[in-house]
Amino acid sequence: MAHVIEIKNLKKYFGNTKAVDDISFSVEEGGLFAFLGLNGAGKSTTINILVGVLKRDSGDCFVNGFSLDEIDKILPSIGIVFQTSVLDKKLSVYDNLRYRAMLYGMDKKEFEDNLKYFIEKLDIGQVLKKPLDKLSGGQKRKVDIVRALLHKPSILILDEPTTGLDPKTRKLVWNMINQLRKTTNLTVLLTTHYMEEASIADNVVIIDGGKIVAEGSPLSLKNRYANDYIKAYSYDNSIFEILDKAKMPYKKDKNYLEILFKSTDEAKNFLVKHNNLFKDIEIVKGSMDDVFLSITGKELKENI
Amino acid sequence: MNKQSELKKMNYLTLRNIKLYFKDKMTFLVSLITPLILLVLFIAFLNSTYEDSILSIIQDFDLDQSLIDAFTGGWLFSSVLATSCITVAFCSGMMVIDKINRVDIDFMVSPVKKSTLQLSYVLANLFSTFIITFVLLIIGLIYLACVGFYITFVDFLLIVFGIIITSLFGTILANIIWTFTHSQGVVSGVCTLVSALYGFICGAYMPINTMGQGMQYFVSLLPGTYATVLFRQGFLNSVLNRMRETLPQEMINGIASGFDVKMSFFGHDVSTLALILVISISTIVLLGVFLLINGLKKRTRTH
Repeated sequence: MAHVIEIKNLKKYFGNTKAVDDISFSVEEGGLFAFLGLNGAGKSTTINILVGVLKRDSGDCFVNGFSLDEIDKILPSIGIVFQTSVLDKKLSVYDNLRYRAMLYGMDKKEFEDNLKYFIEKLDIGQVLKKPLDKLSGGQKRKVDIVRALLHKPSILILDEPTTGLDPKTRKLVWNMINQLRKTTNLTVLLTTHYMEEASIADNVVIIDGGKIVAEGSPLSLKNRYANDYIKAYSYDNSIFEILDKAKMPYKKDKNYLEILFKSTDEAKNFLVKHNNLFKDIEIVKGSMDDVFLSITGKELKENI
Repeated sequence: MNKQSELKKMNYLTLRNIKLYFKDKMTFLVSLITPLILLVLFIAFLNSTYEDSILSIIQDFDLDQSLIDAFTGGWLFSSVLATSCITVAFCSGMMVIDKINRVDIDFMVSPVKKSTLQLSYVLANLFSTFIITFVLLIIGLIYLACVGFYITFVDFLLIVFGIIITSLFGTILANIIWTFTHSQGVVSGVCTLVSALYGFICGAYMPINTMGQGMQYFVSLLPGTYATVLFRQGFLNSVLNRMRETLPQEMINGIASGFDVKMSFFGHDVSTLALILVISISTIVLLGVFLLINGLKKRTRTH
């Protein structure tokens, strides 16, 4: 597949702080790409450079083959949702969207047609005439997303898009994005704290202290960096003798026993060997939390 | 086609800026009330002072009271309009408000040229200034109609031209400063400074010939002074013409020079055409500077 975004040796320093320190990655067309990191890791700085809001110190960025020096050719194909709303709080939702749509050369009919689609999908019909500052956080976020998608971009950049949204709205937003990905081959570049969002990505880049520390599909990252577990809910107590003798790490809970393995194969072999000791078990793959902790030594949850 | 599209974008951005400005009713009211307060203070405290000055010049000549009232009223209104065109322009801009609210980022990621965006701020700023200054003009004309109205159609055109060119001058000057400004504190500081200082250095608050020689030379180098004199001529030319029927020419010349209806530049009389040219050329130069700065300035934020 073609790369719609290519970042090569990108650097951005703020004084002595290395916000982005020589990072390179690429995003495939139609893919969902997640950028994972703590606050201040360099995610938003990278995105702001990519859309021309910040200037890079060195390195290259290409979007649809155009360098950042040709930002005018890049911007029509990008829709972006920033961490906080950058719309006019005093204007109505309709006016906000209309004035922004006109910047993409849309006429009134095209704008109304596009808006109709999002009114249906995101249920924003009742808030169109309300000033933005009278909306709830979730409603505002929906409007931000509509603003980013109204001109039908081929690339959608989401900077912490669902932070502060209730689960229902989060699901609504993702359903719409997934539908757009299927029907329009939309490429999505996402920064997030949410593991469930990073887990559904085709490719994940983990950034820490401005540097990329790991990259790959969620599965490959889990295989490389996270341990597997056997969770046994019903078992013979003689298992503890075996575990202690083999010095295998385990955790006993009131309801289950959790045994740690380096790989799925190791867990499988152990089960085959001691099949008679287990009655009710499951093999659990390590989570992206485990991946993040293993790579950076930091708990991602703490930062949410 | 591309130019047409940028023009369309500029129209919409200008509409958006105007709508936002008038959404904040307090800002609009404060912008309107400030010059009105100035006007009331002028009439309450300075009207009699200037009336006495005229009476001391004409001495024993018997001049119709409505002419004296029309002259002092016209002088005060020309002062208020000359300053308001600048101070309102400085205090009604949207550019810095967008920067403070981080809305400018949304325009940075939209396919709109920086010059289009910047010009839309100037146009909206200009429109807001026009609204307030033309409301002031209407109030002024009503006041003069009550005390003594001598303004001809040509005078009226001169006043309207004065409002347009001075507002444009003030708007561009303000937006040049706002291009480098990112905080509300700086905006408030500059607005306060301009409001306090401008009326004095453009010869609006007191006649130029009452200033010291050095100050007279200094203010004659500032384009704002020429705009003030243009307003004086618009409001007072016809009153002076009517006074000419009663008073000798030397006395008329004395009043005209003493109250800045006539201006001299290092001893040379400045004609009305020269006044128009100075303020117009200054505005064009400022516009050039504004476009140059925005052309050279990078599109990106620095912080």
